[in-house]
Amino acid sequence: MFVKASKAISPQFTLDERFEQGVLIDEVARVYQAIEPDYSPLIPTSLLRRMGKAVRMGIGAGLPLLHEYGKVDGIILGTANGGLEDCVKFLNQIVDYNEGVLTPTNFVQSTPNAVAGQLALMTSTTAYNCTHVNGSLAFENSLLDAALQLEDNPSAVILVGAIEEFSQYNYTIDRLSGRYKDNPVSNSQLISDMSPGSICGEGCSMFILSNDATEATLEVIDVHQVIANETGSVKNALIELLQRNAIHPNEINTLLLGRNGDPRTQQFYAAVSDLCEEVKSVVHFKSYCGEYRTASAFGMYLAHKMTKQPISDWKGETLSFFGDFALIYNHFDGIRHGFILVKKHA
Amino acid sequence: MGVISSLGYTLSDNHTSLRKGQTGIGKAHHFQSNYADILPFAEINCADQELVKRNKIDNDPSLTRTTLIAMHAFDEAINHAQLTTEELQSSRTAFLSSSTVGGMCYTDALYADANDTGNVSPFVASYEGSDHTVRIALKYGLKGYTDTINTACSSSANAILIGMKLIQSGRVDRAIVGGADCLAKYTVNGFNSLRILSEEPCKPFDVNRNGLTLGEAAAYLVLEAEELVGDKVKWAVVSGGGNANDAFHPSATSENARGPVLAMERALQQAGLSANDINYINAHGTGTENNDRTESIAFQHVFGSPPPFNSTKSYTGHTLAAAGAIESVFTVLSLFYQELYPSLNCADPQPEFPFHPIVNQATNHTIQHAMTNSFGFGGNCTSLVLSKCS
Repeated sequence: MFVKASKAISPQFTLDERFEQGVLIDEVARVYQAIEPDYSPLIPTSLLRRMGKAVRMGIGAGLPLLHEYGKVDGIILGTANGGLEDCVKFLNQIVDYNEGVLTPTNFVQSTPNAVAGQLALMTSTTAYNCTHVNGSLAFENSLLDAALQLEDNPSAVILVGAIEEFSQYNYTIDRLSGRYKDNPVSNSQLISDMSPGSICGEGCSMFILSNDATEATLEVIDVHQVIANETGSVKNALIELLQRNAIHPNEINTLLLGRNGDPRTQQFYAAVSDLCEEVKSVVHFKSYCGEYRTASAFGMYLAHKMTKQPISDWKGETLSFFGDFALIYNHFDGIRHGFILVKKHA
Repeated sequence: MGVISSLGYTLSDNHTSLRKGQTGIGKAHHFQSNYADILPFAEINCADQELVKRNKIDNDPSLTRTTLIAMHAFDEAINHAQLTTEELQSSRTAFLSSSTVGGMCYTDALYADANDTGNVSPFVASYEGSDHTVRIALKYGLKGYTDTINTACSSSANAILIGMKLIQSGRVDRAIVGGADCLAKYTVNGFNSLRILSEEPCKPFDVNRNGLTLGEAAAYLVLEAEELVGDKVKWAVVSGGGNANDAFHPSATSENARGPVLAMERALQQAGLSANDINYINAHGTGTENNDRTESIAFQHVFGSPPPFNSTKSYTGHTLAAAGAIESVFTVLSLFYQELYPSLNCADPQPEFPFHPIVNQATNHTIQHAMTNSFGFGGNCTSLVLSKCS
C-alpha cells in the first residue's frame, strides 16, 4: 500500500514549510509539546471548547486529509491512551464529589475511539472504523488493519494515523514508573544523554493509504512485531520480517530508530543497527517528537518527508532516504517491539 | 472458548445458567462504590485475591482485576481448544484482545497516582488499556501477532472480525480473540452521568425499560483455519462480519439506525447470505430507550420480520468490551446445541414493533446461521455472522 499524503501535528514546525526548510526547535525541556494549529477553520468554537487535546489533534491532522481526499473507505487509528486528560478529569470528579452527580462530557471524550468516531461524525463517514490501543504497537496494528481492508477492497482509500497527548496526569503516572529523566534535556542532546528515562513528547501523524501508486513516494511493504525482553528475539523478528519479503539486511540503507536517550533500553536499537550493515542514514525520530507510545507514526511521517527531500539533523547536516528500503523500528518499554518496512517509490 | 461472568467461572457454568434461564444480575458484593447498594450489577462473584488463587499465578500486586479475569478466561479457552504449547507459542498464533476500562479499573489508585498524592500504587505501570494483553502474552510466552482494540462496546466484536481476516489472509493459522472488562467506579459513574443505568435489572426490548445494567466478564474464542482443526470439535464457523460507523452522535445511535443497518448488511454480504438465511439473532439489546428502539428499526429494515432474537445482557448485564465476545460464545452454544435461551425481563414488549424477543426456552430448534450485534460509543457498529458446522 502507498502513502498518498501525510500530515503531522508535532513538537516541530510540521504545520508549515519551516520543518522542510530545516528550521528545528531545540529546547531544553521536560516535555516537548506539540505545536497545535488554529483549529477555528476546522472545528466550531462551541465544539472545540469541550474537546480534549487528543481529539482536537486528531481532527487537526485528520480532517484536512479527509477534506482533500473526499469519502474514504476506512478510518483506522492507533493510540495507547487516547484522551487521558479527560479520563482523569472525570475520575477526579468521581473522587472529589464522592460519586455524586457528574457531567458526562469528559467521560464520553475519554474513550480512545472518540477521535475516530468524531472524524466519522464530522465527515458523515459510515465506512469501516477502528481504534487500536495496543500500547507502543497500536500504530503498527493500525497499518496491518489497513492492509487487511485493502485486500478486501483493493480500490479503497483509508485514513490511518496515531495520536498521543501529553497531560500533567499521564506525565505524572509515567514519571512515577521511572519513564522520564529527572532533568530537562534539549532535543539535540536527547539521544546522547546518559541519565535514565526519556523526555516526554506528544503528537498526531495521519496518512492517506491506498493501492494506487500515482504520485506516491512511499510504499508500506510490511509490519511486524515481537514481545520480548532480550535482543536475540528482536533480531530474529527482524530477520523473519526481511526474509518473508525477500530483502537482504544490506538492502536497508536508511534506519529510523526510536532511540530515546534511555541507556537502560538502547541495546535493542544497537542490535537492530548491527544487523543492517549497510546503513547510510540513521534518523532518531524521538529527538524531534519526544517519547510517547505511538511515536513510530512520526517516524513514518519523517520517512515520507525524506522521500521528497532530506531533513535536517541537529548538527546542521541533512539526512537523506538512501537506497530503496527503510526500516522504522521502535519500542517503548523494552518489551513490545514494532517494525515498519517501507520502500521509496520513484 | 473460555468465559468468566456473573453466570459463573467456566463455559459450562455459563451454559447451565442460560439453560435454566437464571440471571447473573443482582447485588454486588465485591465492587466498592456508593452505587453498589443502590443499583443492580452483574458481578463475577469472586474477590481479586480468590482470582489470583484460581489462576494459580504468583501473587503479583500489579495485576488488575481486568487482567485476572482475562487470564482466567484465556486459560480456559486454550485448554478447551486443546492447543499444545507449541501451537500456543507459534509465531503464527495471534492474540487479539480488547478492553474499555483496561488497567484503569481501580479508580482510587489511579486518582492517587495521576495527582501524585502520596504513595505510589502497585498499579502505576498497569494503567494502559493493553496491559492485560501484554501480561498474558508474557505469561504464556506468546510469540505471534498481538493487538488490543477499543471501540467501546463493540471492541471484542472487532477483535473477532480482525482475527477472522488475519486467518483468511493467510498471515496466521489461528487467532485467540475476545475481551475483558471489570466493574469500575469509572464506568459506573460514566454511564450514570449519562443517566442510562437502570435501577432494576435491565429489561431489553420491554416497553418499560429504563436503562442498562453494567456487568463484568472476560471471554475468548480460539479461531483456527479449517484445514488445521483436524479431529478436534468444530464449535461453529465465523462466516462473516461487518463494521460501520453510525456517524450520528458520540454516545447515541441514529433514529434511522444507519450504522446498525450497514453493519448487519455488510456482515450478511461478507458471509454470502441473505437476511432470510439467519435463524437467530443475539441482539445488542442493552435495555436503553435509544438502543432497543434503534436496533428494532434496524431489524425491520434488514429482515422485515426478524428471526427469533434475544438479549443475553438480561443475564450478564452489559459487559462493555467483553460483550461482543461473550455474546458470540453464547451464540455458538445456541448453534452447537440447537437451542434458544429466553430473553429475560421482557414482560411487555415494545408495542410499536410487531416482533418481540424469545421468552421461552427452545430445544431442537434448527439454527444454521446466527447473527450477533454490538454497537458502541463513537458510532461504532459491528455485526458478526456465525454458522453451524456441517
